[in-house]
Amino acid sequence: MQDIENEIRNIIAEIVEKDPSQITPEAKFFEDLGMDSMMALEILAAIEKKYKISIPEEKLMQLTSLKDTVAVANQYLK
Amino acid sequence: MNPLNIEEIQKALPQRYPILMIDRVVELERNKKVVAIKNVTINESYFGGHFPEEPVMPGVLIIEAMAQASIMLFYSAEKENSVKEQSYYLGSVKVRFLNPVFPGDQLKITVTPVKVISSAAIVNAVAEAGNKEVAKGELTFSVKG
Repeated sequence: MQDIENEIRNIIAEIVEKDPSQITPEAKFFEDLGMDSMMALEILAAIEKKYKISIPEEKLMQLTSLKDTVAVANQYLK
Repeated sequence: MNPLNIEEIQKALPQRYPILMIDRVVELERNKKVVAIKNVTINESYFGGHFPEEPVMPGVLIIEAMAQASIMLFYSAEKENSVKEQSYYLGSVKVRFLNPVFPGDQLKITVTPVKVISSAAIVNAVAEAGNKEVAKGELTFSVKG
């Protein structure tokens, strides 16, 4: 569980070009990290690729923080 | 699907001279794969300045060709305005340039989607000249209706 959070934190850090330490579980992607909707899509695609899962388009709106993103990913991970 | 000639490409893409960067689409599977051709000749206006003694195609124009080929992923033969009804905005580009492109080269650009949703897409693009890869990478763009 912790591993997944760390892995997803690193994915997000690379896409938003921030230090992983700035990606706290509650930091808001748009307000706090300056992310845009296309970065959110890149995160979704990177998670799908890493875990070989498929996340439906509707879930994109739920990717608003690391915590929420991990929760969405966990719904599709075994 | 049959290859698309320049008249058909112009029905789909709004770009025109001097920035229509694909000449032919040789393979097209909607939402799955596009292979497009760009013939590079010494008559291209940018070679006058890039560079006068040593003409090399600017890398950003290879990216533009990749982006235009990517738009063709959304082309549908049945619906003439399928592509033009929307606007496409490049959001991010991660491209590595591997070899220079010179006058006389024929660029073959292959685009495959990584992720396509209704409002955006991420695609992989590879540009080859002869048997050599000249550039490859990932483009993210939004699609607005």
